[in-house]
Amino acid sequence: MSRKYSMIENGAETSKLKRFFQKDFSQLIIFAIPMIFIAIFLLYPMAITLIRAFWAPAEYDFEFTGWSLESFRTFFGTRIYLKALRNSIVVSLSVTVLCILIGVPMGYCVARVKIPGKKLLVSLGILPIIMPSFVGAYTWVILLGNKGIVRTALNFILKPFGVTLPSIYGMFGMILCMTLTYYPFVFQMAYGAFSGANALLEESAMLMGAGKARIMRTITLPLIIPSLGAAALLVFVRAIGNYGIPAVIGIGANNYVLPTLIKFAYGGAGDINLASSIAVINVLITGLVLYVQKYVVSRHEYETISSTHTDAKLHESVGARIFAIVFCLIILIFSLLPQLTIIIMSFFTRWDGLLPTGFTWANYGGIWKNSRHEMFNSFFLSITATLMCAIFGSVLAYITERKKPKGAALLDLSIMAPFILPGTVVSIALLSAFGGNGIMKLTGTYIILIISYMIRRTPYVYRSVAANLTQLNPSLEEASTISGATWFYTFRRVSVPLIMPAIISGSVMTLTTLLQELSTTILLCGVKTKTVPIQIFNAVNSGELGKASALSTVLLVVVFAIIYTMNTRKGTDLSSSMKM
Amino acid sequence: MSKNVRYENVNKIFGLGTKNEVHALKDISFTINEGELFCLLGPSGCGKTTLLRNTAGLDTITSGKMYYGDVDISTIPPYKRNIGMVFQSYALYPHMSIFENVAYGLRVRKVPNDIVTKKVNDVMELVGLQEELKRNPSPTALSGGQQQRVAIARALVYDPDVLLLDEPLANLDAKLRRYMRAEIRRIQKATNITTIFVTHDQEEAMAVGDRLAVLRKGVVEQIGTSDELYNQPRNAFVANFIGKMNFFNATVISTDADETVAQIDTTGIRVAIRAEKRHVEPQVGDMVLIGGRPEYLSVSATATEKSLPGTVRIIQHLGSFIRYEVEISREISPVTLEIDMDSLQPGIHEGDTVNVSFDESRIALFSPEGREV
Repeated sequence: MSRKYSMIENGAETSKLKRFFQKDFSQLIIFAIPMIFIAIFLLYPMAITLIRAFWAPAEYDFEFTGWSLESFRTFFGTRIYLKALRNSIVVSLSVTVLCILIGVPMGYCVARVKIPGKKLLVSLGILPIIMPSFVGAYTWVILLGNKGIVRTALNFILKPFGVTLPSIYGMFGMILCMTLTYYPFVFQMAYGAFSGANALLEESAMLMGAGKARIMRTITLPLIIPSLGAAALLVFVRAIGNYGIPAVIGIGANNYVLPTLIKFAYGGAGDINLASSIAVINVLITGLVLYVQKYVVSRHEYETISSTHTDAKLHESVGARIFAIVFCLIILIFSLLPQLTIIIMSFFTRWDGLLPTGFTWANYGGIWKNSRHEMFNSFFLSITATLMCAIFGSVLAYITERKKPKGAALLDLSIMAPFILPGTVVSIALLSAFGGNGIMKLTGTYIILIISYMIRRTPYVYRSVAANLTQLNPSLEEASTISGATWFYTFRRVSVPLIMPAIISGSVMTLTTLLQELSTTILLCGVKTKTVPIQIFNAVNSGELGKASALSTVLLVVVFAIIYTMNTRKGTDLSSSMKM
Repeated sequence: MSKNVRYENVNKIFGLGTKNEVHALKDISFTINEGELFCLLGPSGCGKTTLLRNTAGLDTITSGKMYYGDVDISTIPPYKRNIGMVFQSYALYPHMSIFENVAYGLRVRKVPNDIVTKKVNDVMELVGLQEELKRNPSPTALSGGQQQRVAIARALVYDPDVLLLDEPLANLDAKLRRYMRAEIRRIQKATNITTIFVTHDQEEAMAVGDRLAVLRKGVVEQIGTSDELYNQPRNAFVANFIGKMNFFNATVISTDADETVAQIDTTGIRVAIRAEKRHVEPQVGDMVLIGGRPEYLSVSATATEKSLPGTVRIIQHLGSFIRYEVEISREISPVTLEIDMDSLQPGIHEGDTVNVSFDESRIALFSPEGREV
């Protein structure tokens, strides 16, 4: 009797075990890896940074010597530091406002006015963000320096009004450079929003008797506020985190901003705890702005109601067309002057006065000899990190979008956090966690660079894919499941092919920005892991302009080729990877 | 091999344990026979789609059991259930040709290539797309009706035990919808696969289904053939959902084995209802509804002993008949009556006062509970 019972129990036991092994675990494993990665390489370092900010100062030393608010006291008690804080806020806010003032009208012109060469305009319009921003800054030194050609020209025009241009070194220069570098974010997003908006809404307003100005004010602009908010935030975050431009033209004790101050605290004073506390302050400001942005945008988020959609009618009047072309051309020429300057400069040895002097091919000839290793590093690191980002980003987007696990919001926040964190902050965090006597010492390795790149750039693919997934009907995947496909088969054969355009556009964004990455790399690279942008930065600082220009030109051509190829492909859209 | 589908005390509660608990399916128990084309019908939010998704395994039921044939499939994941499903949006893969779309389920099952080709050809012939298959375009290049056929072919090609159709005709225009519902019935009868068809359109359900289940608020109100549901509705809800039924508030005066006499409220009109038309066991003094379909009622300019006065609101020509919408005393019927006449009544115009009378022999008796849709 008892034997019979135990047999039944045994049977139940084996079937349970069998069921356990028959279960489809691929889902769990694929999901677990990125989560663990985020925990180790993002959450842990950020926690360490936060803790370190409250440690007593340490000289090149990772020893814990007691809790203290000393770092913050130093910060708020030192004039230069406070000035840097003020500078950062002023620069970032002005840049954001200026970018909106330039980018929105330009986006409208390209999207809604009948002008030729729109595809080219859009491609050219993204160029300013694909050149290392400090290179742009240096070209403005050439052009707007004391004897610079543009300064001479502008001063000639402005003289009758009694105005002279302020020095390029300082706040004016930083705001100018960053605006001309970052307005493409607003332009691209505004262009996308204006051309994608449902024209039926505007047409119905017109039929109800609204004039053009009224339609613009009550229909068109309110509907693009979410996109605009995303772009504005992106510009602000980039501006406050930018290291290259202030490093080149923010010269003098009065012109520090937070990222240069972090580098100064870590590289100059060697105090990682002080650097950590500056990083914490930097993050707090960004967090505050993010909060305000979310608050404003959330009041203007709308569901699309109508199912039918027509394309917007274009303005065809001659006046509008001429204005649009002239406006776009002026902005483009101005913002592309640095690229032009760099290309010209790469064939010369000096450019001190109005025009460059000393034509030579040697700048290019030297690349193979002096930069082979850096070229390899740049491409190896960027491509490896991009591939990893593509995989991680799409899997993570899939998890949060489709599986909606508990704590999806937290996951979303942790993935997006590095998006708003300045590169120097991420570097400091990684240094804090993996620099000294922590669990792993990774400084000076390829690994720490790839990790920092992944942490900072995964949001591109993540956002792009998440946006794509929300538009993808879940029944496409359900249909596959019903047909008998396991989760992994469905993911491979249905989900991935369908989100491929989003993966590609996110990856292109990742690759092109990584090829010119400076702010993270400068703190993390070792002697053997220097990249091309680092070499360019050093060349600029030591006055080897020709060498720097030739290297920049090579980067520029590569990056433009990648982006142009992608823009001609159907269904890929860069702007979706920029949204928060 | 076609199988029957059996539900035993199936419950589905969304957001169990939270504040927003929704009891979407309440103790559902019934059986769908082998090879049957069965319609799940009900207003939106009645639980019909929930029941279908749970049958597919896309959602899991909270309690109860579901069987395909003798196998309890309640906890089996959807990809092991061997079912076919056609989605409202068709869910065709834009990155695959129509051949690969249809072949998908066979590829999953690792069927050899030559058999895949043969099976896809056969099923495309069955749904009438052999010409399109020769060109083999992307599904986005097809018309709505053709996409629908591809979706059906894709669901049928691997000989599923059960075929599920989720409002498959909702995205088609009226004419195509009528044509496709006949097509679906033809294809289903040709393959003899047990099929569940979800719709909110009673006309469609009656036209397509061998049997229908009417659902309301997660409960099966009645199951039967179209004829049974139309002529012997179990309650006022079914009566008014399957076709239109006009109701009058009334009170039972007397009742016996043969007939019940009820008096229409606020009037002296008494109506005798035959025993087989009673859908409630009335007691003297009960509030009841007496119901008549539009064609059992008539309008006339002249009053009779048993007619009710009302005002014509709208007159609609609907092809083979004329519909009069007549407003009568709110105490008797709070909603406007719909009355169908074979021909236009001379001398009756919108806004006129008319007299409504009914064919007493066809009037039915219902409990007033659950009258509202």
